[in-house]
This record gives sequence, C-alpha cells and structure tokens, in this order.
Amino acid sequence: MKRILCMLLAVIMVFAVTAGCGKKDNKIVVWVGEESAEFYQKVCDQYVKDNPSFGYTIEVKGVDTGSVAGIVTNDPSAAADIFTTAHDNIGKLAATQCAKPITDEALINQVLADNPASFQNVIYSTLNDKKYLYGVPYISQALFMYYNKAYVTEEQAKSFEGLREAAKAAGMKAITVTGDDGFNMSFALLATKADDHSTTVKIYEGAEATSGGSKGESNCQGDDTIAIIRWLQDFKEDENGFKWASPDGWDADLRNKGCLAVIGGTWHYNTAKAAIGETNLGITLIPTLTLTEKSVEGLTGVKAGDVYRGGTFADCKVFMINATSDNKKYKAEQELVKFLSSKEVQNQSYLECMNVPAYVGASEFIKSCYDEGKVTESEYNLACTQVEMAEWGIPQPFLTGTLNTYYYSKNGPPIFRAIIDKTPYPTTGDQILTETESLEGIRKGLYLIEYIWMHGNNPKEFPSSLPQKA
Amino acid sequence: MSNTNKTSKKVRSQSRAYKTSLGITYILLIVMGIIWLVPLLWIFLSAFRCEYQPDGTFIGTVTSNFFPKAYGFKNFADLFTATYYGVPNAFPRWMLNTLIVAVIDCIISTFLVLSVAYCMSKLKFKMRKPFMNISMIIGLFPGFMSMIAIYFLLKSIGLTGNPDHPGYSMVGLVFAYSAGAGLGFQVAKGFFDVIPNALVESAKLDGCSNFKIFMKIILPLAKPIIIYQALMSFTGPWMDFIFAKVIIGADNSAFWTVSVGLYSLLFGTHPDTNLFTQFAAGCVIVAIPIVTLFMFLQKYYVEGVTAGAVKG
Amino acid sequence: MDSTLTRVPKNKKSISDLFAPIGKWFSNFGKRFADGSIGTKLSHFIFGAGNFYHKQYIKGALFLILQVAIICFMVFCPTINGTPYGYKALANLSLKNVSEGGDFDPITGEFSAGSDCKLMILFGFVTIAVIIIYFMLMKMSITSSVKADMDEKIGKKPSTFREDVMELFDSRFHITMLTPTCIAALIFTILPTIFMIALAFTTYNSQDMNDKGTNLFHWNGIDNFIAVFTGEGSLGMEIKNRFLPVLGWTFIWAIFATLSCYFGGIILALLINKKGLKGKKIFRTVFIMTIAIPQFISLLAVRNLLGEYGPVNGLLQDIGATSGPIGFLGLHPGDSEALAKVMVIIVNMWVGIPYTMLMTSGILMNIPADLYEAARVDGASTVKMFFKITLPYVIFVTTPYLISSFVGNINSFNTIFLLTGGGPVYTGYQAGGTDLLVTWLYKVTIDQGSYNTGAVIGIFTFIITATITLITYRRSKAYNEEDTFQ
Repeated sequence: MKRILCMLLAVIMVFAVTAGCGKKDNKIVVWVGEESAEFYQKVCDQYVKDNPSFGYTIEVKGVDTGSVAGIVTNDPSAAADIFTTAHDNIGKLAATQCAKPITDEALINQVLADNPASFQNVIYSTLNDKKYLYGVPYISQALFMYYNKAYVTEEQAKSFEGLREAAKAAGMKAITVTGDDGFNMSFALLATKADDHSTTVKIYEGAEATSGGSKGESNCQGDDTIAIIRWLQDFKEDENGFKWASPDGWDADLRNKGCLAVIGGTWHYNTAKAAIGETNLGITLIPTLTLTEKSVEGLTGVKAGDVYRGGTFADCKVFMINATSDNKKYKAEQELVKFLSSKEVQNQSYLECMNVPAYVGASEFIKSCYDEGKVTESEYNLACTQVEMAEWGIPQPFLTGTLNTYYYSKNGPPIFRAIIDKTPYPTTGDQILTETESLEGIRKGLYLIEYIWMHGNNPKEFPSSLPQKA
Repeated sequence: MSNTNKTSKKVRSQSRAYKTSLGITYILLIVMGIIWLVPLLWIFLSAFRCEYQPDGTFIGTVTSNFFPKAYGFKNFADLFTATYYGVPNAFPRWMLNTLIVAVIDCIISTFLVLSVAYCMSKLKFKMRKPFMNISMIIGLFPGFMSMIAIYFLLKSIGLTGNPDHPGYSMVGLVFAYSAGAGLGFQVAKGFFDVIPNALVESAKLDGCSNFKIFMKIILPLAKPIIIYQALMSFTGPWMDFIFAKVIIGADNSAFWTVSVGLYSLLFGTHPDTNLFTQFAAGCVIVAIPIVTLFMFLQKYYVEGVTAGAVKG
Repeated sequence: MDSTLTRVPKNKKSISDLFAPIGKWFSNFGKRFADGSIGTKLSHFIFGAGNFYHKQYIKGALFLILQVAIICFMVFCPTINGTPYGYKALANLSLKNVSEGGDFDPITGEFSAGSDCKLMILFGFVTIAVIIIYFMLMKMSITSSVKADMDEKIGKKPSTFREDVMELFDSRFHITMLTPTCIAALIFTILPTIFMIALAFTTYNSQDMNDKGTNLFHWNGIDNFIAVFTGEGSLGMEIKNRFLPVLGWTFIWAIFATLSCYFGGIILALLINKKGLKGKKIFRTVFIMTIAIPQFISLLAVRNLLGEYGPVNGLLQDIGATSGPIGFLGLHPGDSEALAKVMVIIVNMWVGIPYTMLMTSGILMNIPADLYEAARVDGASTVKMFFKITLPYVIFVTTPYLISSFVGNINSFNTIFLLTGGGPVYTGYQAGGTDLLVTWLYKVTIDQGSYNTGAVIGIFTFIITATITLITYRRSKAYNEEDTFQ
C-alpha cells in the first residue's frame, strides 16, 4: 500500500514537472500585462499564421507589469524575450544590461512617426556613450479622477472646493489617492496654472536627462509649488478634505463611505467600479484648486485666487527586448515588436482591453469608436479623460539607472507625505526638521526632495541660503 | 458529633468555594474561547459574504459589519474559476502545486530528520558532537540573505523556473525546503534518547546490523515522532509565502504555491483588486484540511511539542 | 559551579582534538606514500588506483568517476548566467578581473553582458567546497587502498564491494544516514550562509551598482561594520540612527512576547486542566485552532479585523467610543507607535498562548500528586501552591523551551511582517517603529537591495542569538547530561 502510494506520488510529480515543459528553440516568449494576455496571444497567433516566414511560435504570458522590472534585473535569463514595463524602468534596465537596444530601421521609423515628442524623449538610453532606442511605447497612462456621483454633482467635481462642499454635506472626506508613491503624488507636485498650464516645476528636465548628458535642472521650490503645498496641508487638515488611502486599500475608502473621490488611472477602473457601482462612478479630470490668502502669504510669485489644475505624470508602457535573448531571434523579435506596437494592434487592444493607445492622434480613433457605438459611454469617458490629462502631463524622467527609482520609492515620496502631514523628518546628518509649517520649513523640504532626485541621497548640509527660484 | 458537623461544614464551604472557582473558570474559558475564535470566525464568515451594491456590483472589500448581510458561495465559485496573474483556474492549480510539494517534502524531510536523529542518539562516531554544534549554530542565521544564493545554486543545476521548463522550479522548491530539514533533528533526538539503550545493545548482541536495528526496533517505536515530523514538514509549504516566491519566480505564477498566491491576492503590486472576500474563501479552503489533520493527529503533535520543550 | 570548572580544560581539549587528526594525517602522509603498495602510491594521483590494484573494480571505478567529474568541473568551468565555475571561479573571487560589458553589435544583436560579482563570489565558494571534497575523496581513496594493503599483508582477502556496502548498513551506518543531510546542508544551508557573511565585506548594494550601470562591486574590508557607527555606508545615516532603537525594541519585544505567552499559557493550561471541568476537549480544540491555521491566514485576518474599515473600528465608532478610526497597527505613518507595539504583543499572545498551553498541559499532569497532598495537609492556599509547587516545577522542566522561544521571538518575522509591516513608518528610514532586526533586514535587502548592510544586520542578529543560545545551552541540564551519555 505504502509503496503504491509512493509510486503514485512520484508519477504525479514527474507529470507535474513535465506538464509545463517541452523545450522549443523556435519560441519567442512575450510578457504583457495580465489583463491583456489573452488578447495578445490571439493577435500573435494570427500574426504567425499570416507570416509563414516568421519562423517562430509565440507564447504570450500575463504578468504583473509593476514587478516585471524587478524580475528582469534579478535574473534576466529567466525572463521573457520581449517584456513590457513602464517607460521609467528603461534607465535601470538598460544600465544593468538587462535590455538590448533596438536597431531595426523600420521599427525606429515607426516609433518616431507615431509617438509624441514627450515619449520620444524618454525611450532612449545610452550604451557605451551611444544613444540607442530601448523601449517601444504601446500604451499611454496618466492619472485622472474617479468620483461618486451619488454625492457629487458634475459641477462640484470640477474643483477641489466643490468636492469639499459635497463632502461636507455627506459627512465624509473629499478625496484620496491610490497610493503615496511619486507617481500618485504628481497630482499636487505637477499642478499647473489652469489657464495656460504653466508651472515652475522642473524635474531634471526629461529630455536632457535621458540623453545621457548632464543631470539637467531640477526645481520644485517655486512660489507656486510652495503655495500649492500649503494649500494641500490645509486641505489635508480639513475635516472634509484630503485623506491618505486606507491600509485596507483605497477601494475600501470609496466603498465604506470614507471619501468621495480618488485620483487613479485606467488600471483602477474595474476596482473603482466594484467599490461604488458602475452607475455611481464618475470620471473626470483632476479638479482645480484656488489658492487661498493663507497659502500665498509671504510669497510673491502667486496671489490668492489663482486657479491651478491638478497635474499628472504622463507615462507609457513599452516593449523591451531581453539582453540575454538568443541573437538568432533578434531580427524576429524586432519585427514582432513592430507589429505589436503598430497603430492597428494598439487600436484593437483599446477596444478589447481598454488599453489607451500611445500614438499621436489616438483620441480621434477613440472618438470614432464611441460614435460607432463600439464602446460604452463610461469607457469612452475614461479614455478621453486620460488623453486630455496626458496632454498636460510630463513623462516621468529618468537619468541613470536609479535616479528615477529614487524618485519613485526612496525617501522623496515619504518626505513629501511628511511635509503635507506636517510631521517631522530627518534632513541632513542627524538633523530633524520640525518646523514643517513655516515657509522656510517647506522650502527646506522641497530642496531635500529635489536634492534626492538629483543625487539619490540626502545632502550633507543645507546651503546657507536656499535658492529662491522663480 | 460536633466534630463531624464541623468537617461537613468545612466540606460544604470547600465545595461551595470549589463551585465558584469552577464557575469562574468556565466564564474565563468561554470568554477567552470567544476572543480566540472571533478573528477566525470573521474570516470564515467573510468567505461566505455575498453582498451587492444597489446596482448589482459585488462587494469584495473589507467591510465594517462583522456578520455579512447576505450569504452565498460566490466567493468560492469565483476563486476556483478565476484567472489570476494570467493563469486560468489558478487557485486549484496552486492547491495542487502545494499538495505535491508538501507531500514530497514531507517524505524527504521526515526521512532525513529521523535518520539524523537516530545517528545522533544511538550511534557513536567521531564527528557526532561537532555535527550537533554546527547544526545548532547554522540554524541561527536569518534565512533571507541566503535566498538569492539558494536561487542561483538551484539555477546551476537547472531547478528554477525558466521559460522552457517552468515546472522544474517546483523540484527546486522541494530541494530548498527539505535540504535543511536534517539539521532540525533535536526534537526527534530527544524522543529517541528516551528509548532505552539496552534495547539496542541486546539487539546488537543478537547480531543485528545497525540498519536492522533502525528499521525493526527504532522505527516501530517512533510512530509518534514520525507523525509529528511528517505533520510539521507537511504543513510548512502551506505557510511559506516568501521563500517560495523567490525560488519559483515572481513571474512563474502557474507554479506558485497557494500561500504565495493568496498573499499576492491581498498584497500584489496591484493590491487594488477588491479581492478580500476571495482571499477569505481561499483561506478557508487552505485551513480546512490542515486543521482537520491537526485535530486527528493532535495527540502526536502534543507529544512532539512536549518532547521538544523538555529537551530543548 | 562544578561544571564550569571542569569545562575549561575540556574546551582546550576539544580544540586540540579538532586539529590533532589533521596534523596526524599530514605526518602520516609521507609514511603512507613511502610504505604503500604501488596501488596506494598511485591512489594519490588517480583515485581508486589502489582499489583496481586489489581488484575492487566497482569501488575503484566509483572513485575514478568522481575524480574525473571534479577535474572536468575544475577545468571546463561550466557557466551559469555568464559566470564560470571551476578554476576561473577561484580567480574571480578577488573581484579584480571584471568586465563592464555592454559591447553591442547593432546588426546581429550580439550583446555581451558585464561580469556579475555576486555570482563570482557564490561560484567561487562552491568551487572551494568542491576542492575540499576532492581532497576528502583523495583521503578516502588512500585510506581504502591502505586498508586493502593491510588486509593483504595479514593474508585476508580485500573486502568485496558487497561487503563494503554491507558495512555501510552496519558499522558505518552513520555515514549512510548522514551523507544526504550533509550534502544537502552544505549546498543549501552552509554555502549560502557563508556567502551571506562574505557580502558584509563587500560594496554590494544595488543602488550604487545601478548608478554605475553595472553588476560590479568589490571587497571593502570592515567598512560596513564601521558604518554602523559613522553612518557612511550604503544605507546612509539609517544604520547609525536606527540600529540601537531597533535592537532595543527587538529585545523588549522578545522579552514581553516570550513571557506573556509563557505565563498566559501556563494559566490557560491550569484553567483547562482544572479538576471537574467538563468539555476539556472542546476548549482545547478551540485554542489549538490558532496553532493549526497557517500563520499568514490568522495574522492577516487580525490585521484586517483591526483595519481602518474593519469590524473593530466599525464597532468602536458605532457605539460612539471613538470619532474616527484608530490605527491599531501603525499602518499609517502618523499612527501611534506605542499602541502598535502593545497591539503586536497582544496579538502575539493570541498566537502563542495555545502553544505553551499544550506543552505545559502534559507537564502539569506529571507533577507528583503527593506534593499537592502534602501542601494541602499543611493548609496551603491554591495561590500559594501555584507559586510554590506548580510554577517552580514547570519552569524547571521547560527552561530549554523558554530559551528557544526567546531566540525564536528575536527572529519572529511573520508576526511583525504580517501585522504591522514594521509600521508606523519613520519618514526617511526603512526601519519603522515596530521593526525587528529581521524585518529590517528583509526591507534593507529585498526591498532596498543593500545586501552588504543587510549582511551586517544579519551577522549582528546571529551574534546575539548565538550568544544567548550558547550561554544558556551550555548551562542547561540537557547539554550536561548529553556529555555523560557519551
């Protein structure tokens, strides 16, 4: 009996192990976001069928796109031949030699012809002092706002003040964010003047940074930024103002009547829908804010009553080619990427998976789909709002391998949160900054964030007088 | 007369005191029992929670009501059919993966532990003492640092997930789990120490080989400790959510174990997925077999725990 | 007292014991070579030659195959992820001859990756282990040949393969039994641990490496240990500013967690085992549930139960005890650290008490009943009996457990990681208010990639736990009895 059991188990084991096997040299593995794996497998199968000369079979696997970069840097040889990631990982992946440059003329031409200049600036990186194209954009991403239509009117959703009014009536908080990392915090940091979309914020100037040249210029201590931060400090303290997402998840905030609205992206759509129900789910631009007397006190570049629009990073998802992938496949891989990032496939992926296309002029296609009744109104709203927000946003810049990563996860965002929460935080050496409310304190904090962007660590000491950039 | 009266009074008062103390004990135990059960009951109830928004959207987040407003099996149905991390029917697959890993790990680990414990307890050889000391010292290093090393060592022998053979990573995981098992022999050794040496000596005089003594005398006596060790190594893979992810690979979701999967449902890099109730359902499914096993084998478990405690 | 006196010379003896055989082996080396048969002489170079000479073909072949395998491994240098094993790996251990890589041919896509220092170190250590195994094989081969020589000299036939195998199941049974564990532990426990220790002496941290755009780092001596005091390592001021607070909390946590579970468990066991109590089994089963259910389930259940929108906060607000949600577990940066610390200790009692209860139940029943009888005759109260009889007895028997659970609590990763995640956060630092050394280590290495600083934390953790264990273990009854057994 025991022996039979053991044998049986051995057989199961062997079966389980061999089930996923069968080595194929002529296979190209593609990693895409898990929500669109099925779609891309279908498209790829069709592609192989239509191009008998292609010579490879394609296996598409859905993965968690947020963790792809980490997986690839850990062990590139265990990753797919072609993988997807957000563009801001390009610097890191190129620097750690996990990705191969793209050299196919036709593909490069397609990328240059299709994509906006802002994306073209952030998909290059350097290798041996030469600039190469590394990532091929195929999905664009930006933040906008979801709100609960049961409590907020369309008019109220246009401004933070309106939201607060609605929140007061409902006895809730007005708005939250889906997380407190650098990407989510861009709603405040990248806010622009509502009429002309101007701002003094510079984040080591995207274009310059990615060219591999100097670190460019950073500035987030302009009077407008400081005023907005002061405004946000107040809004956070307001009983019906801003709140940080619950550790239970921001959807718990929405669902449990914790707050009325959330700043998120298309990838939060299904969850937001589940949290408050599709009929209640409103989608719109990130609202405007009006500077108060208190927030402009002591500042010269701004005046009370100025209206600012919440900002966003406008990112793209890109395809990259694995550095450890077989050289023989190199040509085929580029062909495949060219196909997968073509306008036609991007359009199709919008229709089937709600991936907002990255190419210039996608909004016309989105409009035509709505007119032809191919998408629902809220799906149309979603795409339109994102496209509109993206126009005012900038792509997250990256310089070397880590500067962007620092921006994303190291110390910068927590300090930003501490400034808004008015909690003390360490600055230089053993110094703790406690006067988080004063003009000087905010300026110091912002200088710190800026310094972390530029250098990846805290400064040894503050300059004797902080530069008061315009 | 008065004397007996006195004692009976004393007995009566004693029994009254005894009764109150018994009553207090009952109350204390019941209160504590409730405290102990509340979190588990809540997860259990959440697994069966089937609440909807007015417009028909399902509510899957944490809610503040302890008792659900409506019950149903939707969470379980979804859990078993849903595609997670690009794997269709992921949850049943993860369960099967874990079962396979757990059973094989259980067999190998138990064998290794018993063999080492037997050597340490009943055989005399030169390296015995150094071996015991080294095994104790090595166990004190925190394990996370060695994870990447283990990953690349397994990769060297081809036992990690690569796109061509994603399933080999499960063999690697079994290796990683059971490799160190032999060093955790202390409890079993404590048990073997209790078996009289005279038994071994007399068998030796009868001409039994050490192998025979192990098979014919020690093992039959060691049933409680075998079951204890088997239970421990069987339940291990159901609980580990860090090691397994590194060895199998964060991308290799088809071969994850169930705890990695459930943990990712709640804390994946896309935690925004409204999956709390499905997580709860998964917890119930995982907990039922393990709790049942524990309940059946309670006696042996207690024996092992006690042996371990006294022997250290 | 007595045992400490006798132990000192024994220690010296054990050290000399360790080295004596090695020295002896070397001094015998020449003698064996000179006196041995041709087979024995050859065995020094070709393993198994002596066995072939004595017609022990299978054994000889086994030795030879292993030797050839190892030599092939050393010479041909199998390569994993572009990093070689074998003699090249030994050279690589210096981390000197490294290439930055990155040569790229735009036409063919030919791409050369740079060296990977972490694999260089790891594979270097593996190769050293293989070399040690080579010399162990050499010794085995020679010994085996010498034994056959001896047998021949006294007119006995050299042992057959069958006899050798039989021996492995009898007089050398421990070799058969221990070999699998030794090999497995060497590869998956000892080598990785040595690798980890080695990292503490390097500049291995992903941030610097990503900045430079390579997988390269180098040895830097004890700089990382000095950085604990100066704050100039890869973790910046954090290691200096947070090390002592985290260490302190780790101790406080370990003391409270151990004692609360220990005494709570004893009291619970007394309650459950009270004479005349009905439904013992049911009560016991209820408490065992928390042991049986995997910790990541029960702890995450509690975490969500106490969450911002969980039932506990819901109830508190419904009855009007609080106006807003309470951050019990410090998951928001601004939450109370003290409350989070108290909560983890309380929740840990929920997890740990049933375990002690189970363990002490058996022990309580073993307390000789006449002790209580005698006390009762003397008119002792229940409380007095508890403190004078029960407690001393239980503590006496379970001291080893108390120690091991203290050490276990120092390394209690799950409870902290799953409940609070180390929170509340200290802005600017990885280590939050409830982080233990182990959870900090996890954040520093897995999240931040500062492997060198992580290794330093790991080594400190090891030193602490090892010291506690060794001191108490050597004083314990079990250890001293163990000596008498041999």
